[in-house]
Parts: sequence; structure tokens; C-alpha cells
Amino acid sequence: MTMQQYNISENNFEQCIKCTVCTVYCPVVPVNPNYPGPKQAGPDGERLRLKRGEFFDEALKYCLNCKRCEVACPSNVRIGDIIQLARIKYSKSKPSLRDMILANTDIVGSLSSTFAPIVNTTVALKPVKAVMDSVLKIDRHRTFPRYAGQTFVSWFKKEAQAKQDLYLNHVSFFHGCYINYNYPQLGKDMVKVMNALGYGVHLLEKEKCCGVALISNGLINQAKKQAKVNIDSIRKSVTEEKRPVIAASSTCTFTIRDEYPHLLNIENDDVRNSIELATRFIYRLLESGKVKIKYRDAAPVKIAYHTPCHMEKLGWGFYSIELLRHIPNVELVVLDSQCCGIGGTYGFKKENYGTSQGIGASLFRQIEEVDPQFVATDCETCKWQIEMSTPYKVKHPISILAEYIDVEGTINLNK
Amino acid sequence: MKFDTVIIGGGLAGLACGIRLQNRGFKCAIVSAGQSALHFSSGSFDLLNELPDGTAVANPEEAVRSLDPKHPYAKIGDQFAFYAQEAKQLLLDSGVEVQGDSKQNSYRITPMGTTMPTWLTLADFTCLKNATDVIGKKILLVNIAGFLDFNTKFIADAFEGNGAACKIVSVSLPEFEKLRQSPTEMRSANIARILENENTLHALASRLNEQASSCDVIALPAVFGLSSPAPLQTLKRQIPTPVCIVPTMPPSVPGIRTQKRLRRVFELAGGFYMLGDSATTAETGDGKVYAISTVNHGDIALRANHFVLASGSFFSNGLWASMDGVREPVFGADVDFDPNRNNWYNASVFEPQRYRTFGVATDERFRIKINGKVQDNVYAIGSVLSGFDALQEGCGAGVSLLTALYVADQLKK
Amino acid sequence: MKNDNNENNEFDVIIIGGGITGAGTARDCALRGMKVLLIERFDFAAGATGRNHGLLHSGARYAVTDKESAAECIKENMILRKIARHCVEENDGLFISLPEDDINFQSKFVESCHAAGIDAQIIDPAEARRMEPSVNPTLIGAVKVPDGSVDPFRLTLANIIDAKAHGAKILVYHEVVELLKEQDRVMGVTVVDHKSKETRKYYAPLTINAAGIWGHGIAEMAGIKIGMFPSKGSLLIFGHRVNNIVLNRCRKPADADILVPGDTICLIGTTSSHVGFDEVDNMRVTPEEVDLLLREGQKLAPALATTRILRAYAGVRPLVAADDDPSGRNISRGIVLLDHETRDGVAGFATITGGKLMTYRLMAEWATDLACKKLGIEKPCVTMTEPLPGSRSEEPMPTGKTYDLSNRIKRSTVGRHGDMASRIASSNELDNSLVCECEDVSVGEVQYALKELDVHNMEDLRHRTRVGMGTCQGELCACRAAGLLGEAHNCAHQAKADLAKFLNERWKGMYPIAWGEALRESEYTQWVYSGICGMNKMEEE
Repeated sequence: MTMQQYNISENNFEQCIKCTVCTVYCPVVPVNPNYPGPKQAGPDGERLRLKRGEFFDEALKYCLNCKRCEVACPSNVRIGDIIQLARIKYSKSKPSLRDMILANTDIVGSLSSTFAPIVNTTVALKPVKAVMDSVLKIDRHRTFPRYAGQTFVSWFKKEAQAKQDLYLNHVSFFHGCYINYNYPQLGKDMVKVMNALGYGVHLLEKEKCCGVALISNGLINQAKKQAKVNIDSIRKSVTEEKRPVIAASSTCTFTIRDEYPHLLNIENDDVRNSIELATRFIYRLLESGKVKIKYRDAAPVKIAYHTPCHMEKLGWGFYSIELLRHIPNVELVVLDSQCCGIGGTYGFKKENYGTSQGIGASLFRQIEEVDPQFVATDCETCKWQIEMSTPYKVKHPISILAEYIDVEGTINLNK
Repeated sequence: MKFDTVIIGGGLAGLACGIRLQNRGFKCAIVSAGQSALHFSSGSFDLLNELPDGTAVANPEEAVRSLDPKHPYAKIGDQFAFYAQEAKQLLLDSGVEVQGDSKQNSYRITPMGTTMPTWLTLADFTCLKNATDVIGKKILLVNIAGFLDFNTKFIADAFEGNGAACKIVSVSLPEFEKLRQSPTEMRSANIARILENENTLHALASRLNEQASSCDVIALPAVFGLSSPAPLQTLKRQIPTPVCIVPTMPPSVPGIRTQKRLRRVFELAGGFYMLGDSATTAETGDGKVYAISTVNHGDIALRANHFVLASGSFFSNGLWASMDGVREPVFGADVDFDPNRNNWYNASVFEPQRYRTFGVATDERFRIKINGKVQDNVYAIGSVLSGFDALQEGCGAGVSLLTALYVADQLKK
Repeated sequence: MKNDNNENNEFDVIIIGGGITGAGTARDCALRGMKVLLIERFDFAAGATGRNHGLLHSGARYAVTDKESAAECIKENMILRKIARHCVEENDGLFISLPEDDINFQSKFVESCHAAGIDAQIIDPAEARRMEPSVNPTLIGAVKVPDGSVDPFRLTLANIIDAKAHGAKILVYHEVVELLKEQDRVMGVTVVDHKSKETRKYYAPLTINAAGIWGHGIAEMAGIKIGMFPSKGSLLIFGHRVNNIVLNRCRKPADADILVPGDTICLIGTTSSHVGFDEVDNMRVTPEEVDLLLREGQKLAPALATTRILRAYAGVRPLVAADDDPSGRNISRGIVLLDHETRDGVAGFATITGGKLMTYRLMAEWATDLACKKLGIEKPCVTMTEPLPGSRSEEPMPTGKTYDLSNRIKRSTVGRHGDMASRIASSNELDNSLVCECEDVSVGEVQYALKELDVHNMEDLRHRTRVGMGTCQGELCACRAAGLLGEAHNCAHQAKADLAKFLNERWKGMYPIAWGEALRESEYTQWVYSGICGMNKMEEE
């Protein structure tokens, strides 16, 4: 008999057996009573919404899409996806100007980079912050990440691109908005490390913002367009140029791999396995013995590693942690995994500021208790949040690797 | 990825096994598909409360001798008492404070106020010697206003049945009012989060002290200490009257804390705990398993010398029932079950249920079989095993802990 | 013999049975000024009323085989949409032809529908797939009809509320053990109160037997034989709404060929098999019936093959053989009103049976007309126009953006209680706290039911509110609800025992389909209530 061998329901909402474990791990519930919680907003609400769409509740927007409910769920219910899809399907509220600004990280980024000195100075001014706070509802406690004067892409084209074809192996690099506009140094570090390992680094034919902020701000059609551009470029890189795609940001990676098919209906089956975080890519090379790394002599350092939410969901913290532990003289303390509260653009919104800081409080306490020299993490928005909320500097594992790698020695070792 | 041992399942059995192995110098990974059943713990660990025929058990060490050879305990045999002691020690060494004795069952209090026999009880709770003992003569029974998963009336009914007098009060603090605005989130774990704050605890203590004058014990719901026992200790310091904690309906705050603690101990010993990942397929051959693949790690397989299946029963998806059979999804291991679905159930929900005795078939050393062939390096532990009804016999935690340690000791580097 | 009569035990009419027929008759009689007593041995809607599809038949199903029933159905269908809005979902229905069906049947079907006054339209299969994406995509024909769904518990309750409002006395958990006969006249009944175990006598010039299949036994108390045939029908409830339009097969009625969406779920049914009278109190769904329902059901909507099942249950239809055909071969599903005075020479006694949930109002009208005739009352029936409580006014729904779960809860309560929802408290946090999270049942709603809707136990509460009817079948909410019950009745001990009974009743519907997710849920529930709470060791009540 072929009936009832397994149960199928959209995003497994019906595999929920009402055990309430998700509610224990939702970072929003304890700080915002207006959020119905993952169980109600997710599988419970879904049954009612199937009855009639009017059971949709706009309060679902308080979900910061961290997916910690999904990681905790013993029944494989894609709670976060259910909630985000319900927002996409039923929400009638239009994104505000503020949400558009926050969501369009690349347009705003490219404008701001051109006028970086002006923008950086302007958004840091108190009166400007007050206007942003009251008119745009962007919380005044927030410091906007500074925009770099030169984008990563223009640096790369000018300084690095020409040399990349000289390498034996090749990868494409999905740099993301943050590296391009705010922190080109991480991109430079990536090129340095990959080059040292014998890999040429290339830009994708076209790269758009991965769209995570568009999704969370309800700009779905635009997110779909950008996702299509990205997947087409990635497909070209993987299938035609035979270049796997690496990235530095856990959120961009997660979005492209999982949110595209689940939320945007953009199929990526054929290339999904070729999009990964650089730390995982390097781990694989090291584990298989294909490359070796030589490190500089350096003084012992204590690093605290924070697992970003989407890293937790990817399950790939392992690779960054192993890579950092691979560096001699590194004492790595892995922090108890919990949300920092920023949730991408979520924490920038005035109405979420309190929630955001409330969520992060115990993580900040943990870091202070460990008192490391600096914090390591794979997510740019976690970096902002931790740097805004603690006295500690935050570095990406690739930057740390770039700092400790002996480039010459590594090249020689792999000859 | 290469490990000495990969454990599938991160609940009580998987963690106990992982900690023991990690302490013996093994490099272990635990793959856990979501959080475990410890989140619904009673606050106690049962060893053996009843024989399959319904005979009550006072001394598990003695009673275990009369079990059927298919029972997991029978396979541990003479070493039962040794491993019971080792299990208790492992919990204590991990910072999970427990009380109890494998030679003499004690009694725990249920969320209904009734008593049940048990083996080890978390230090949060009161452990009774006899089934009809009471925690005090005059009890102040307290609930947090609006918390529906703790029923003081049910508890008082049972306490009073054993001769105690109860005064029921409900406490409200401004700190809870915010949470109460949510129609659903007034849950034990969320209340416990609020009670991590020292000021809130202090406010609660003073409210209780106002009411406690004529009582000899204060009974409170188990909403203290999600991550450490500190909140309860703080509260107890501020209340001169003895405080007794009574378990709530799930989720179980002390259970969650136990899970977190054991995971932390495993990780501090160098183990990798991969939460939210599920094993999908296994690479097998020649009566051995070489690697497993998981959803998250995809093409990077987890290779190991040994594999331990600690994936739980139906609830945890360690076993999967369809209309026509029961299977084990990771290895496709042989499963003991009755092919006639008519025999799976008893029409009375509180009677023993046949389906609960189904599980993975193992040899005398707990090694699994695939198509009848024993797999040399794959072991099964805990509730995925066949041959016992954990609820009827009251032996779920005991089977998990004892088989975990027994198997851990079988493995050679 | 009538010397113990007094105002408290004398009525104009006694109605036996608290199903939809009894409730409807009680309402109609009360509306026409009679002093009414209704006696029900368990709860309202505990028999066949609460154990069917909940289908608001358009009549199309009977159009070809039984034109009279079909015409009754469509008429009542239109009436219920008006008088019982809050119990009805206007979903529409499709009669689909599959490749294995004779497509020629379709034209005959549509013709018969039109003859019976049913608006049946042939639509293109592609259009049918668009209207109802879950439909079997291989369909070769489809006809759209005005089917819908109706909640039998709400409908019965609304009739009871109105009957009470018009002075009817309602006794639940009271069982008729004897018909009081004087010569050839039924004078009243002897009743046992199941709770107090006390016996009392009630008198009336007319006793109406509306006890469904159990009416067979009631009639026997008067020495009367009715040719009843208990026909068991089993159904499966799925975890969510797979379809939003009722799906039927366009062929002669057969097993498992109706899939009805109702509230949060959908159900497939039914099987049909004759059973003995000794079995009617203990219906069990067999594995063979489950298999059949699934096998046939997935032909309507293939998704059923992989949709989680919540439970299985069975009801007993009171089929009645025509008086001239005691063999039962020629059974009609039409309404049967028996005046035992003319039929059997026993005065003061009538039986109303046969029929369907759909035609309850008409059955009540017929029975009440007979009562009027017997009692010399001349008052016309108004139930075809007079809305039921809950459907009298439009309860304002929360509008606009909702940032508050309590608005959603309000939607759920209005959905269940119509305009009566205004009686549900929602002013503070406790009122708005959810007892049942699957079905959005708040503390306020439970307390309203406990206070105003004759709730004696957890089962009654479930019928009034949907507590425990959702995905978890009571795992999360049963204990909370039992707590409130214990508080309302001021007896925690009894409430705990009732909780155990409730869990057992839930399990009886779950074990026939306990595999996959349903078995996981069951194991978890048993873990919570036996393992953690130790309810398996609580002393038997």
C-alpha cells in the first residue's frame, strides 16, 4: 500500500505536535508580548489562515527571522518559513519609506559610497539622527555603518583582478553589500587568503544584494528580481566557468541557498551545493589535504566566537570554529549560541530598538564574562550590534585568518 | 569530517554517551534533530517502577533480574547496579544535582499533586520516602497569576487527600504583567526568564514572606532557573520558610536546564553538538557503517570509527510508523514490531501499549542489524531500543542512561 | 396514579433525544407556546448528529435516486443559510467525474438537479482545478452545486438556547427508562438522573420520540415495533483544510465519496454497513474501514494520501424501513413521522426519525404540527424565517490591521458563537489567555460555556467550543480546560477524573489512525499524562 507512508504539508506545518519547544528558544517572545510567538504565528496560525486569510495577524512582522525556532524544533517544522510566507501572502501593509531605505542596501550603498565622507558625517550628526528617529523611525541609538570611500568592487578591478587568472584554481566571490560598501577590507582579506591557498578570486558576472532585507521588509517582487540575477550569475559561474561560489556572510549564504527556494520560489537545486561560506570551502581543502596553511608566529590570543543565527541554521559554525582552532596560539571560547538581537534591519527600526537590545543583553553579558581580546563572527549585522553594545571589537574569521597566515610560507608549502 | 564516534541524537542517552566517551579521550560529534525530550522531563529519572506484568518494584537492582532477556536491562545484566551508580555519578559530575538510590525507589510529586515512584530526582524537587508522604502539614500553595499550566487546585486535592492542609494563593508582579499581555506566552520557560532577574526574585520573595506566616512549607511551580540553579537558591535564601518546588506541565524548566548543562559539559570536553541537523543516509558495507550524511553538511560526510544511534522513539522521529509497519529512518536498521496494526494499541489510553515496546532490534551488545546482519560498529541506545514500555515500566531515563554508558564502555579507540 | 403531578413535572410535550431533531422540535414547540421538556441521556448532539460529515447538502447527492429528499434538501439548505448563518460555511460543492466514472451520468445528474430546484452548473475541468486546487487533476467533468458545511454542534446548541429562551426545560444526562402507559395512552416518562441516580416521573399529553437509532428501544417501551436498521458510517478527520470546496463524486452515492471542509479541518466519509442494535453504543472504526476511506478519498483529492489524519469516528444512521416493507430492502432516507395513535393504537406518542441533519428543521416542523393538532393549538411554524440565536445580528468583526492576538481570538469566537460571542468576556488578560491553542479557545469562551451552555464535563465543553478538537487532540489544552471545569464546579477531584475520561475518549478516535505524526502526537500525550502526571496510576473513579 502506498498511502500514508509519510505526511506532507507546506513547510511541514502539520508535523508540529504542539510540544512548545520553539517558544522556549524564540528570542522575541520574552521581550515583546505583542509578538504571538513562533508556535502561534507559525503552525497554529497556519491552520486558521487556511480556513480564512483574515486570521492573518500583522504582528507577525515582529518575527526577526532568526530561524532559531526551526533549529530547536524536534519535528522539522519550518516555522520561520511559515511565518515569512504568511507575511508575503497575506500582509496588506505597505513598506514605509524607512523600510525601503533600510531594505535597499545596495542602492543606498552605492549612492552613499560616492558621497561617503558627506554621508558618514551627516548621519552621525545629532540633528540628523533626530530627524531619522522621528521622521523615518530609525532609532537614534543606532550608528549607521560607515560607508567606505572606495567600494570593494572598484578596488578589486583596479588592484587585484588582473592577477587572478594566474592561479591554478578559481572561485567566484559573492561579496555582498557589506563588504562592497562598508567594509572592503574583509574582501581584500578574502582575496589575500584565497590567493595564498592557490585560488584565483573572481567577481560574479552580475551581483545584486542577496535580498534578505527586502524579504524582511516585504519587498518581495524586488527580492525576486535580484535573486534571479544572482542565481543566473551563480549558475553561469558554476556550470560554465566551473567556479564554485564562496561568500563571507552567513546571512547572504543562507538566503541564497535556502530562502530563495523556500520563500521566493526561485529554484537553485542545480547550484545550491556550490554556494558556500569560505570557511567551509577552506575546511574542505584542509581536511582533504589539498592545501596546507603556514601561520605567522604570533602571541597567544583569546577569541570568543559568536554563532550568528543564520550560521546556527546552516549548521556551519563547525567550519569557522575548526578553522580558528587551526591557528596556533588561539584560545577559542565558543559562546553559548544565542541571538544578538539585531536581525538585519530589524534592530534599526525605532519600534524594535528595545526588543533588539533586550534580546542581545545576555549575549553581551556572556562576552563581558569571557573578556576576550576580540570577538569573531561570520555575520556583518551581528558585528555592528556587538560593537555598538559592547566595548569589544568584532572580526570575521577570514580577516583573522588573513592576519595570521604566512602568505609566502603557505604558497611554498603548497608548491 | 572525521570523528572517533558520531552519535545520532542529542537527548539524555546521546549526551550521556558523548560525555563518557569524550572523557575517555574520544572525539565525538552529536547530531541532534532539534531539542530533546528532556524539555518535557518530569524532573526525575526513573529506573524501574514496575515489571511488565504490573508488579510494583521497590528495589530496581533486585527486580531487574526477573526481566525478559530481550529487555535492554537484561543485556546489561550483572553490571546493572554498577552502571546505575555510574549514571548517577555522571550527572553529579556534570553539575546536575540529583538525589536517589537504585536500591530503593523514592517518590516524586507530579503536576497533579500525586506521587510516582522514581529513582533520581533533581535537587530542585522534594523526594518523598513513601507514596502517601506529604511535603508539610500546612502548605502555602502558590501560583503565578495567569499561568495555566500549573493547577494549584488539582495539587491541593491530592495533598489534602494525604492529610495536608493547603492554602492557595496566586501572586502577580508587575514584571509578569507584560508577558501576560500575550494570550499564549505565559509559559513556564518564559516565566523562568523573567525570574532570572534578582530584583524580580526579591519582589516575589517578599510577597511570599507576607503570606507565609501560618505555613510550614511553601510550594511553588518549577519556573526557576533555565540556565543555572541560582535563581532558586537566591529565592530560598530570602525566604525563611522551607520552599518546595512542584513540577509544571511542559515545557520543563529543570529539564531544559539539565539539557543545557549536559550539552555544555559535552562541549567543554571538546565534543561537537550539531543542533538542528538530521542524519539522512549512511554509507555501509561489509557489516560496517563508514559515514553518515546530514542535511546541513551535505557532501561533507561525518566519518567515524563508531556510530551510536540515540535517536529516540516515535516522538523524536527515531522510529517512524506508517500504516503498515515501523522503520528506523537513518540506517534502515531492523525493527522489532508486530505487523498486524490491530495489535499495536490498547483501547484504554492509560493501559500498556504494544507500540511502545517496538524499537530497533540489537544483539546482546546493543549492535544494530540491517537485513539481519549485525553491524559491527553501530550501536543503539535509549528509547529507540525495543523490548520495553518506558511509560508502563517507568524505566525510560534509566534505559537511556545505562545503555549509553554501557555502550560507551564497549567502544575501543 | 397522577396524584404526584405538579407544575414541575407536567408539560405539554416531552421530547426524548437531544440530537438535532429533538433540539429543533423543542425549539419549534416552545416557539408555538407549548410547555416543553427535553430529555437527553448524555449531551446534546452525542449521537448521529455529531457524527456525520457536517455537510450542508444541496440535495444534489440525492437528485437522481430520491427526488423528494433532494427537493427538501435544497429548500432547507437555503433556509439554514439565513437562520443559522453562524453555523454554516457557504463553500459550494463540486461533483467530479473521474476517468473510471461514466461521464454520461453527468447530464442525467444535472437534469435531476434542475428538476429538484438545485442550481447545478457544468464547469470545465480546468476551471474546477482552478477553483479547487486539491481536486484530482485527472477529472474529466465537474458540476458546481450550492453545497456547504454546517457545524452540527453549533446548530443543535443554537436550537437549545432558543428553546430554553422560550421556556423549555432541558434535562441532559437524564435517561428515559420507562414510558408511563395508561391503557393505550402514553402519559409520560420515568427518568433516571445519571448524576444523582434519582428517578423521577414527568407527564405530558404527548411524548415525542426523537432519539434517533435509540428511538427503536424507546418505541419498544411502548410495545411498538419500528423497522429500524442501524447503519454505521465511518469518517476520517484530516488535520487541516485540504479543500475549500466540498468534493463529491458524480455517480450513484457510494462509500467515501464526499470530502467536506469544515472549520479548521476536512473530513472524508462515509462507509456504510449494517450493525446490530447491541453495537450502537460502542462504535469502533476498523482498520479495513480506514483503508477504504483513504483509498477512495485520495481519488477525490490525491493529497489525502499524505495528509496527517487527526482521528476516525463512526455514527449510526437511523434508517427506517417503510411500514409495508419490513425486510428493509427499500429504505428511504426521507423523513419518517409516525403517529402511534393511528399507526399502533397507542395515543400520546409519536416518533420522528429518518431524515438527515439537513432536514432537521422540517422534521421538527412536521412533529410540531402533529403536536399542535393533538393539543389543539393553532399557531403557524416560524422557524423557516426566524433566525437562531447567534445569527440574529452581525457581530462586528475586528477590522483593519491587527497587531494583537486577541483580535484573532475574537474572530474565532464570533465564528463559533455568532452574535452570542458578545457574551464572552474579553476584558482582561485572563479572559484572553488561550486554553486551546490549536483552535483559539480562550479562558473567556470556556467560562461562558461553563456558565451558560449546560456544560457538565470536558466532552460537553469540547462540543460547545472546539477545545481539544485541534491538531494535538487535547494534549496541551485538556489539563487547562479541566482546571477551569474544576473551578466552575468547585470540585477539582471530579475534574481530574473527567480529564482522564476525556483523554481516553480522544484516544479512541486516534488509535485507529495512530501512525506517522498522529502516533508521535499520541506518544507525546501519553508521555505527558501518564509519564509526567502519573494519571495512569490515579485510582479509578
